[in-house]
Amino acid sequence: MDATLIVYALNLSAIYALMAIGISLLWSSIGMMNMAHGATFAVAGYGALVIGDAVLPGIESALRGSDLLPFIRLAVLLSAGVGTGAVFGGIIYLLAFLPIHDKANFAVRGLIVTLAINLATVQLLLWWFGPRQKALPAIFGMGRLEVFGIPVRYDQAVTITATVILLGVVLAWLRTSRKGLEIRAMMQNPEGAALSGISARRTALPIMAVTGAMAGAAAVLLSQTVFVSPGAGAMPLIKGMIIALLGGLGSVPGAAAAAVLIGFLEAITGVIPFLGQRMVLLVQFGFIILVLILRPRGIGGLLDETRK
Amino acid sequence: MTAILQISDLSAGYGPLRVLHEINLSVARGERLAIVGLNGHGKTTLFRAITHLVGWQQGSILFDGTQIGGTRSLGEGRRTPGIVRLGVAMTPQGDAIFPGLTVRQHLDCGAWSRRAWKERARRREMIFDLFPPLRKLENTTVGTLSGGERRMVSVGRALMTEARLYLIDEPSLGLAPIISQRVVAALREIDVRDGAMIVAEQNVSLLDGQVDRMIGMHAGRLRGDVGHVELG
Repeated sequence: MDATLIVYALNLSAIYALMAIGISLLWSSIGMMNMAHGATFAVAGYGALVIGDAVLPGIESALRGSDLLPFIRLAVLLSAGVGTGAVFGGIIYLLAFLPIHDKANFAVRGLIVTLAINLATVQLLLWWFGPRQKALPAIFGMGRLEVFGIPVRYDQAVTITATVILLGVVLAWLRTSRKGLEIRAMMQNPEGAALSGISARRTALPIMAVTGAMAGAAAVLLSQTVFVSPGAGAMPLIKGMIIALLGGLGSVPGAAAAAVLIGFLEAITGVIPFLGQRMVLLVQFGFIILVLILRPRGIGGLLDETRK
Repeated sequence: MTAILQISDLSAGYGPLRVLHEINLSVARGERLAIVGLNGHGKTTLFRAITHLVGWQQGSILFDGTQIGGTRSLGEGRRTPGIVRLGVAMTPQGDAIFPGLTVRQHLDCGAWSRRAWKERARRREMIFDLFPPLRKLENTTVGTLSGGERRMVSVGRALMTEARLYLIDEPSLGLAPIISQRVVAALREIDVRDGAMIVAEQNVSLLDGQVDRMIGMHAGRLRGDVGHVELG
């Protein structure tokens, strides 16, 4: 396996990890299978597009020729995508969590409501922006840089670094802050959390916003290679969801490991001559089905020390 | 003495099953009350009705002048955090705890009030003084502790924020006699001058002399105010 292939695989893994960890966190903390995660992805892409179009031309003409320009572009687009994703997460919270979270069968109702939100949002985007795919402004262009003698495309380097930093921040927040403690308590025992005065309603909003922001970051980072379009969220949603399942729903280390596994599987399948790119989905889904038959709880159970 | 908890005509259950039948109970301020009875006769359901964790309930529960009862058929647990924040601390039956958190994080979860959170380091020390075995386990994952240690953590969590009503469910369940005695002795240390404590227990002799009043519970009804009992 050559080095560029490894970089390509890590790039895919980074995007998948952002989506899958968000889905996994939502399921384990508030018990909601968020089918609108794909819509969050698409909306954040358009949010970055609109805000970028509004802000960037002014900045570019002011700083013409500056070396800092790509970094400013990155900061503007990434924060626009993350911000839009977080706001859309808040909207999902208002529509799909708050009214029904204490009703019977919340898991199924939540699934249906978020699926409806997903479909409605994609149609709204189609109506407002039209079906044409659009490209985000290129951040660094198509250049390459050498890392330990391996040629890495700029956008790949940015995606991998930004994902590692972002996931590091989210995990540190979960591990050290008071809100993070409350979220982890709720993941492990909702009733015990309620008896500790931890309200599901107050804990769900930050977790929805954070997972939305992660989907937004994934949208901006991926749209350096893929166009922004209303239906762009479908594939990241499906892949994020099956990777979260493969990792053992609710296990963050499991989801991260599964994302890396699937990223490499996709990269390797693409270069095997008799399989190629068109067989990627078939191989991926076959692999996940096989793992779930052999280990129905996914690979997360291997990593977590104590689970019920 | 005014009543801190006044329960009238409380019925509760799960789905078609009615567990509590028109319970009437009054708990005075500063009282330590024990509810004794066999398994499956509604002691836990009474506690879960007070904290809104049963399937349905009807009847009045006046807690220090605030109505926390009422008819309710859905929304299990929706009001629980609010009731806890009024000053009701409950240690659930068994070890309904967070298996993946450390003892220290677990105790911090109990410090829900702003003041308790600020003073959490000092309060943890207080809990460690009450349960010395926990001190050296501070950074151990709770899921790996023994039953007695978990029970201490569970009681300790309830003590991190001062409450006006302590509901302690089966402190001796599944514990060796010597450890249950230590847990009960620790319960005796809790200051209830401004509030009250209700202990549900099967083992009557364990509570002998540790409570002010005992009430029997049978088939979802309170039976007989036993008062202070001395057992041979």
